[in-house]
Amino acid sequence: MNDFAAKVGLTGEQLEHLLAILVRNTVILIGIISVAAVMTLVERKVSAWMQFRHGPNRVGPWGLLQPLADGVKFIFKEVVVPNGANKALYVLAPALAAVPAMMTIAVIPFANDVVLFGKNWGPLVVADIDIGILYLLAIGSMSVYGVILAGWASNSKYSLLGGLRASAQMISYELSMILAILAVVAMAGSINLREIVESQAHGGSIADWNFWKQPLACFLLLVASFAETNRHPFDFAECEPELVAGFNTEYSAMKWAIFFIGEYSAMAVMSSLSVILFFGGWSIPFLPDAPWYLGFAAFLAKTSVYLFLFVWVRWTLPRFRFDQLMRIGWKVMLPLALVNLLATGAWLTFFGPPGAP
Amino acid sequence: MVIVKRKELSLSERLYVPEIVRGLSITFRKMFEKKITRQYPEEPLVKTEVTRGQPRLVVKDDGAIACVSCGLCEAACPAYAITIDGGETDRPIEREPKRFDIDMLRCILCGFCEEACPKDAIFMSDELELADYSRQALVYDIEKLKRPAAAMRRRIEYVNRINDRWRDAPRPPMLVGRDAPHGAHAHSPAAAAQRPHAS
Repeated sequence: MNDFAAKVGLTGEQLEHLLAILVRNTVILIGIISVAAVMTLVERKVSAWMQFRHGPNRVGPWGLLQPLADGVKFIFKEVVVPNGANKALYVLAPALAAVPAMMTIAVIPFANDVVLFGKNWGPLVVADIDIGILYLLAIGSMSVYGVILAGWASNSKYSLLGGLRASAQMISYELSMILAILAVVAMAGSINLREIVESQAHGGSIADWNFWKQPLACFLLLVASFAETNRHPFDFAECEPELVAGFNTEYSAMKWAIFFIGEYSAMAVMSSLSVILFFGGWSIPFLPDAPWYLGFAAFLAKTSVYLFLFVWVRWTLPRFRFDQLMRIGWKVMLPLALVNLLATGAWLTFFGPPGAP
Repeated sequence: MVIVKRKELSLSERLYVPEIVRGLSITFRKMFEKKITRQYPEEPLVKTEVTRGQPRLVVKDDGAIACVSCGLCEAACPAYAITIDGGETDRPIEREPKRFDIDMLRCILCGFCEEACPKDAIFMSDELELADYSRQALVYDIEKLKRPAAAMRRRIEYVNRINDRWRDAPRPPMLVGRDAPHGAHAHSPAAAAQRPHAS
């Protein structure tokens, strides 16, 4: 290995570092795509159970290979480009919807310092940057371009209306989402996601989780993340009874599937973000010194619960009306988020940051 | 004019959230309840004597079918699925079908042929599954339509029981007035048996 490193003009340590980055990033990227695949099955299974049905159970044991069968089907289906569509944008839009969701996963810390082969490889995160939340929010907002461009480029009324609604909704809810997150940031004193987790993990008890200190912010973030990911009860972008399928009406085959990979990836990112901000990320209650793999498992478990909540809410609640959506966004969520931030700021000013003596 | 009185919503109902939690708890509980889907190919269909499947020609115990190729089922068939060519035979009945085809792709399983048949030759079986690779293979001829009477026992008994209900019963009241002058013999059981139901 050292010989090879010398040939490419690197020290052995540099090469090792490079390889570690490659392996880690590949694992995380493949992980997020398979989460999207598994979520399509979970969505169908849970919805079926809630309606006294069995759900897909023909492909593989209990239908576990259904996502694979769907994937093969999507690849072999015909890509139809409608007449009069703006072809370049039409092709670009699915990628624009899916790529931001996958980019934002970069700053999500999955676990504490990975110790493998007797060496500390650093925390399990693609990019441990100091402006984690800022990056996540900035890139995450880009996915609205994918939706509105899909609506615009399809040359279809339904798609255009779906895209318009999606953009209006995402802009409205982004505001209260950011304000809710800000309250947590103010308490943790950092916008590095790893440090936010560590601020909740050091005590090793549930009481350190931000959820107990910021229940309102947690709730606001939950509602806003439903709206941000275009999920029920806010899925106006693909409101079936009014808009056929909304922005993806004219899409078919793998292009259509990429929209859904994007949607489920965004769900996974929002769930991870909520877990990191409010439920202590990889920390395990009463086990402050747990090894990294247990922490990773705990993180996955917490995120799965959140993802199940997304599916659960979708198959329980009816869709709001669009004016109700706007009213809740601007007249309920935003004032609540502002008051919450104000109260947090006042508390911090008068009583000092939590954990300080 | 109907005035719909709107129910006054309580505070918890107007706050959405408690009601949402209630809804969520309901869907969660329902997840574990018994599934009502029937897993069809593994779980066979429930078939009773009332099941009206594809029509079949009953083979009597002497190995012959009862059909005399009268053409009543052909005439009754609303989908024109039945085609019969009659012919003569040396049997005491003298007539039998040379060709009796039912196009199963046309058959709508209405059971009119069963009702029309005066000889109890055709009955609706409990066979419902129908699949083949060509249309021609789904035009069933006599050999394909034959079913031993033993296999159709339940349906035959059921149809007979239904028919017995009106065979010897008093005539429908609507006809009484019109047929009143011949009332003397119209009420005899033999005359009632000859008259088709509600004609």
